[in-house]
Amino acid sequence: MLRRLRPTPRRLAVLVAATVGVGAGVGYAASLTVNSWHLWAGSQPLTKAQCTLTGTTSTTNTYVTQFSANNNYSGSTTMLVRSNSSSQDWSFVRFDLSKCPIAIPTSGGADTATLTLFITSTPSSRTLSVTPVLTTWASTLTWNQAQLLTYGAQTTTMATGASGNTAKSATVTVDVDSLIKSPNSSFGWRISDSGTGNATTTFATSADTTASHRPQLVINYEK
Amino acid sequence: MTYLSKALGFGIAVVATFAACAAAATLALGQSSLSAGNQSVTACTSSLAATRNVNNAGTVTQVNVAGIPVACSGETLSVTLVGSGNAPLGSASAAVGSCGTTCSATLTGFGTVSAANVVGYSFGLAGA
Repeated sequence: MLRRLRPTPRRLAVLVAATVGVGAGVGYAASLTVNSWHLWAGSQPLTKAQCTLTGTTSTTNTYVTQFSANNNYSGSTTMLVRSNSSSQDWSFVRFDLSKCPIAIPTSGGADTATLTLFITSTPSSRTLSVTPVLTTWASTLTWNQAQLLTYGAQTTTMATGASGNTAKSATVTVDVDSLIKSPNSSFGWRISDSGTGNATTTFATSADTTASHRPQLVINYEK
Repeated sequence: MTYLSKALGFGIAVVATFAACAAAATLALGQSSLSAGNQSVTACTSSLAATRNVNNAGTVTQVNVAGIPVACSGETLSVTLVGSGNAPLGSASAAVGSCGTTCSATLTGFGTVSAANVVGYSFGLAGA
C-alpha cells in the first residue's frame, strides 16, 4: 500500500501542478469579481414643510357666466358655479406659490395639497369638477375668454354636500406636485358643474370680509 | 517521505497564499472601503438626487433620478424610500439608461408608500 503511494518525481510534479492550479483558480475568481464591478452607495435627505396660501395677495379668483359672455366679475365677494347647460357659470381660482413663506424649490414635491372653498349656498348635493387650467388668466376673465383657455385632465372633484355656510375641500396633490416641479405649467383650477338640472353653488372669494371664508390652499411638501 | 513532506508543505503554502488573497478580496466586498490587494473598486458617480411623483392619495408612484453620469450607463440603480429612523419603506431598481449628456432612470413598484412618510432616499449603483 505504502509502496504504491511512494512519491516519484512524476507524482510530485502532478501534485504540485494540481495544487497550484486549484489555488490560483480560487484566487483569480475572487480577484475577478472585485475588479469587474463598480459600486456606489449614497443618500439624499428630505426636508418637510407646510405652506398655507389664502387672501388677496396670493389668490386670484373670479367667475364667468355664459349668459353675459363678455362680462367679468373681478372683485366680487362671491363666485358661482351653475350647471344649466345653456347658461353655465364657471368659477376660477389660482394661488401664487411664490407667496409661500419659504420658497418651494422645483426639485421639491407636494406630499399632500388641499383646496378649500367656503360654500355660502348650494341647492342640493352636487359633485363639482375641479379641472386644472393650463394657460394663464386674470381676474377680469370673461366667458368668451375662458373658451380660449387650455384645460388639463381633471384629477379631482369637490362634493358640495346639501347645505351652505360650510367649507368643502378637494385633494389637488397631483396638480400641485406638477406645479411645484414646473412653476408655469398650470394656473389654478376651473370649478364647474356638469351635472343635470339648473343648480347654482355659490362660493366666497378672496374678497370676502371674513378671512376664514376665503379660498385656501394648504400644501405639505418636501424639498 | 522527505520528498512527500516537502511537496505537501509546498502545496499547503501555495494553497494558503491563494486562499488568503481570496479571503481578502471576499472580505473587502462587505466593507465600506473595498479593495483586493491593491485594486480598489471604483464608482461611476459621487452623488445622485431624486424627485418623486405622487397620486392624489399621496402615494409615491415613481421616483425619477436624472443627471446620472454617462459612465454609469447600463448599471443597476437601486432606490430605497427611507422613513423615520432610517426605516426602509419600499425599494425598487432599474437599469440606468436614456443617456444623452447625462443619463436618467425612472423607478416604479415601491408599493403603497405615503410620500409624507418619506424623509429621504437611499441609492445604490452597481454594475460592470
